[in-house]
Amino acid sequence: MNPEPQHLLTILLLLPMLAALAISCSPETAARKLAIAFGGGMFGLSAFILSQFDVSRGADYQLVERVSWFEAPFPVQYFVGVDGMSLSLVVLTGFVTLMAILASTSIGNNRPRLYYAMLMLLTFSVLGVFLSLDLLQFFVMYELELVPMYFLIAIWGGPRRAYASLKFLIYTFFGGVLMLAGLVYMYTQMGASATFDMTSLTTMCPSLPKDVQLLACLGFFLAFIIKLPSFPVHTWLPDAHVEAPTPISMLLAGLLLKMGSYGLVRICLGFFPSFFVDYGPQIMALGAFNIVWAAMACLIQQDMKRIIALSSVSHMGFVLLGVASLSSAALSGAIFQMVSHGVISALLFFLVGAVYERTHTRQLPEIGGGLAKQMPNLFYFWMLGTMANLGLPGLSGFVAEAAVFYGSFTSPMATSVVNGHMVQGWIYFAALGVILTAGYMLWLLKKVFYGEELDKWKGHLTDATGTEKIVAYSLSFSILALGIYPLMLINYYQPVADKMADDIKTHINVTHKLDPVKKTAISLR
Amino acid sequence: MLPFSVEQLKWFVEHAGLIVAAPFLAGFLIIMGVRASKFLSMAVSVGAVAYGLVHSLAIFQALVSHAFPDPYFQQNIPWFSSSSFTLSVGVLVDNTAALMLIVVTSVSLLVQIYTHGYMREDPGYSRFYAYLSLFTGSMLGLVVSTNLFQMYGFWELVGVCSYFLIGFWWYKESAAKACMKAFVVNRIGDFGFLIGTITFFLYTKDFWGAGPVLGFVGPNGTDLASVIHKAAAAGALNDSLLCFIACLIFMGPMAKSAQFPLHVWLPDAMEGPTPISALIHAATMVAAGVYLVARAYPIWLNTDGSAGTALTVVASIGAITAFMAATIAMSQYDIKRVLAWSTCSQLGYMFVGLGVGAFTGGIFHLFNHAFFKAMLFLCSGAVIHGLHGQQDIREMGGLKKSMPIAHICFLIGTLSISGFPLFSGFFSKDEIIGAAMVHHPFIGWLMMLTAGMTAFYMFRLYFMTFTGEYRGSAHPHESSPAMTWPLLVLAVPSILTGYLGFNIANLQPALAGASPEHGLPNHFAAFIFGPNGPHFEGANVTMMGISIAFGLAGFAIAYLMYLTRTLHFNKTFAESKEGMANLIYNMSFNKWYMDDIYFGIVDRVLLPAYKNVWTFVDMVIVEGVVNGVGLVTMSIGEVLKYLQNGRGQYYALVIFAAVAGIAWISYILPTH
Repeated sequence: MNPEPQHLLTILLLLPMLAALAISCSPETAARKLAIAFGGGMFGLSAFILSQFDVSRGADYQLVERVSWFEAPFPVQYFVGVDGMSLSLVVLTGFVTLMAILASTSIGNNRPRLYYAMLMLLTFSVLGVFLSLDLLQFFVMYELELVPMYFLIAIWGGPRRAYASLKFLIYTFFGGVLMLAGLVYMYTQMGASATFDMTSLTTMCPSLPKDVQLLACLGFFLAFIIKLPSFPVHTWLPDAHVEAPTPISMLLAGLLLKMGSYGLVRICLGFFPSFFVDYGPQIMALGAFNIVWAAMACLIQQDMKRIIALSSVSHMGFVLLGVASLSSAALSGAIFQMVSHGVISALLFFLVGAVYERTHTRQLPEIGGGLAKQMPNLFYFWMLGTMANLGLPGLSGFVAEAAVFYGSFTSPMATSVVNGHMVQGWIYFAALGVILTAGYMLWLLKKVFYGEELDKWKGHLTDATGTEKIVAYSLSFSILALGIYPLMLINYYQPVADKMADDIKTHINVTHKLDPVKKTAISLR
Repeated sequence: MLPFSVEQLKWFVEHAGLIVAAPFLAGFLIIMGVRASKFLSMAVSVGAVAYGLVHSLAIFQALVSHAFPDPYFQQNIPWFSSSSFTLSVGVLVDNTAALMLIVVTSVSLLVQIYTHGYMREDPGYSRFYAYLSLFTGSMLGLVVSTNLFQMYGFWELVGVCSYFLIGFWWYKESAAKACMKAFVVNRIGDFGFLIGTITFFLYTKDFWGAGPVLGFVGPNGTDLASVIHKAAAAGALNDSLLCFIACLIFMGPMAKSAQFPLHVWLPDAMEGPTPISALIHAATMVAAGVYLVARAYPIWLNTDGSAGTALTVVASIGAITAFMAATIAMSQYDIKRVLAWSTCSQLGYMFVGLGVGAFTGGIFHLFNHAFFKAMLFLCSGAVIHGLHGQQDIREMGGLKKSMPIAHICFLIGTLSISGFPLFSGFFSKDEIIGAAMVHHPFIGWLMMLTAGMTAFYMFRLYFMTFTGEYRGSAHPHESSPAMTWPLLVLAVPSILTGYLGFNIANLQPALAGASPEHGLPNHFAAFIFGPNGPHFEGANVTMMGISIAFGLAGFAIAYLMYLTRTLHFNKTFAESKEGMANLIYNMSFNKWYMDDIYFGIVDRVLLPAYKNVWTFVDMVIVEGVVNGVGLVTMSIGEVLKYLQNGRGQYYALVIFAAVAGIAWISYILPTH
């Protein structure tokens, strides 16, 4: 095989930065075109990186690039690389960003230059998070995302944008502080060999004392579940989504939430597996609770964007459930869920935005149903989005759910003597989400599209435009493709999941905490 | 028989996946652009399923003639893989699947032709064909599933197609409600199916070996029965656990095949266009539950393969449904709803058959039912079409003059479903009742009674629709050939298929008084089981006699009530205001109040209670705590802001105090 091409990842990372600069130096009218060009370039480049990636070594970091800046008093370096999991998310970032740029038609003449520059900056930080192999760099990128996001919501948001953007900022910043605390604490406890190099932390962290691991991991864990988000720190999400403009909601749900789940897998699970061995059942319970609680919350909302936002909380619960179960299959399902939810939620937010642009309301009672008459094409896309969200086989949502359910139920957690039955109970509970999701999604679809049209809409509404169709078709086809043949994605990251599960297995064997139940069936009366 | 060589027949078996792929492709093409042309949409859709029918027949021939020598053909590709396990999808063709393929493709083909006549005026004509194709593909995928996981996938796909088609006329509020109800009720069943499957997987995961995980058949003892046996031998599984799993999984069939208490969606599903009611909600999809139980039969047995509690549950649920649905059907006035309830009831019979051990009886009834029920529904569609949308049988009557073809076909279907001798329903129903009498006599007699009730309500429907004087105001007319030909074609199997499951040669010894326990094999059972099947039962003349008597009684009562109008039970019941008669009538008319109970619980109790809890927890506790923290921070900030007053001496004072404090702390702290 040819030697690895050099600097690919750096170019990819610099591209949005360059774009932000170029856009801010260009006239207002050219901003959108430039953004589309750069977005397309970024997606193309990420696809090219995908082709350069050696799948047979999927668990190793590839295309690595490392430049040291200074070593004392603590090492600061630029260090990027991808393995199968981060690569999947990088490609997702390229794709969803391009879609969001295309969907930004509603921005119109409202300061497009600033808008697209901010959007590019946001992409830069998201890519930085997925590419970073240095923890300090990871942290900086993770925090950097706050700035453009705050402005994107605060300037182009809805009526309550000030409240929502501040709430978003405070929650996420709070998480950032916790992460910083965990990071510094971990660094100081490592003594002479201290490093921020994520590749070596994976092997070094598990040898730290148990209580140190617990404290350090807790800092990271809290930061990530705020971002995920998980009960009880999820309330920033519905507000932020409701106020954010459509393309920003797509990015928020499609990409920013994935930073939380990515961190959860890469850092919490990768560095501190014993945390999960000890508290796995509780985390799984939290995940299951998220799935059901958020789904139930959706049943009584009146704002359609809020429903989709809360359904994100519900679906990210699958990530918690899958990650904490410590089985390779469930972990794989959780990673699949990240990508799949990224695409599905982007589609759904896009469709909500498309309806909102026409009706200027998101309140279900005001819409009153019957929109299918004048927007048949949007109706079909909505159907597909709905079905994907409720986990219909053949669409990507199902793969993740099935893998998480099958994987977690046969995981070491669910078969352990100590908490096995509790964990099984929680998985049964989580499966209730299957019914609830169908309930609220179909109810939403019915309230918007089925039934008789209200008089006030007669003749006022239009069907999907050309740009909208491009976005909707692209997202729909990827959902369909991932759902029909999921292995095309799984093959990339499966080695990562397998390796992590294997690493954890050694920890389980050391601690004897999760000895499986003796091979005797529990008899049920 | 088809003119194919042995090699070609083999090829057909080994490429059975094409049968599934063709309708999916057709559906996809129609959605992606062919829909612009009505004719092309129809042609693509009908072409795909016609191809499927030919292919299915070739497979059938290959299996019958042993051109394909193995008992089954199986091919799997991994669909999800990890180091823990691999889930696969694939194609499994064996005798049962081959039969189902023929049923699905043939009924689907006829319904699609019929649709051309029925939906010609509808603006959603092309869309309808797209959904029909997708449904047919999903159903065929379900039939050839190799494992429980794959079956679950296609199971949901047929469910969603049913959702689309029930809500096809989305502007009707009733249709919008019905499709949502159907999907959600089915999801409740799927929930049980899902957790049952994962529980089953948990206890058997180490025993699948080289075969497909959760597969139905497999090489070297990786079929379902052997895996259960191995797991039991290793102590991972026992009878009570398996029964628990079976009951969980059975929730799936309960919902999909509309069994008590999850049957409530099926009658409402009649909001969809009639071809759909015929194809999905009568002939094919609703039989998927029966097919699943038949496919994964070992799960419903004990670990050693004997009949156990789980089968009794299946039989009881089936019996309750059959009886309940029959009582309800007796008082309904909507022609399609009467048929829907009768579908419910007949599906109950199939489960009774499977549950009492009449395995072939259950499948045989499924096979016969698919044809005559599809025909009955298509007839009702012709009637509704001819009366411009009228569905109330009180507004019909005397239609046999204006619609002779629909009339004759409906009569054949009625005779068949009522179990009249020589028609197909007679043979399969008798087989089920006979087996039930042996194992659970109570269920047996209940089924016998239900058979009588079936004859009654079906003839009530027939007499009220086709005989007497026309009571409505439309101008009834016979339908177009696209609609009448499928009816006539379906009439043939409705009369004849019964003989496949009955060996006439058994009649002679039975009449001479031989025991019915053993007899010569019949074609149907021999094909399902292969030559090494268990044993074949002879004809039981006494049972036949009794069941004919019950059927005739039902017919006679209907005849006297609705044709000659000499009996007036119905008036007594319907017009009674109090007492037992009123209670019974209302119970039947209001569908045993199941809908009211469910909606009452969900709308009046669960949702409001939940709304309050959610508001309280989310708004008060979660938001409250967080905002409370914010409030505390802000008040602290209010205090602390006085520290930043910009006066230099003040800052110097603070710095001095801090240094002093640190010095003091370092003084009192012990040195290391």
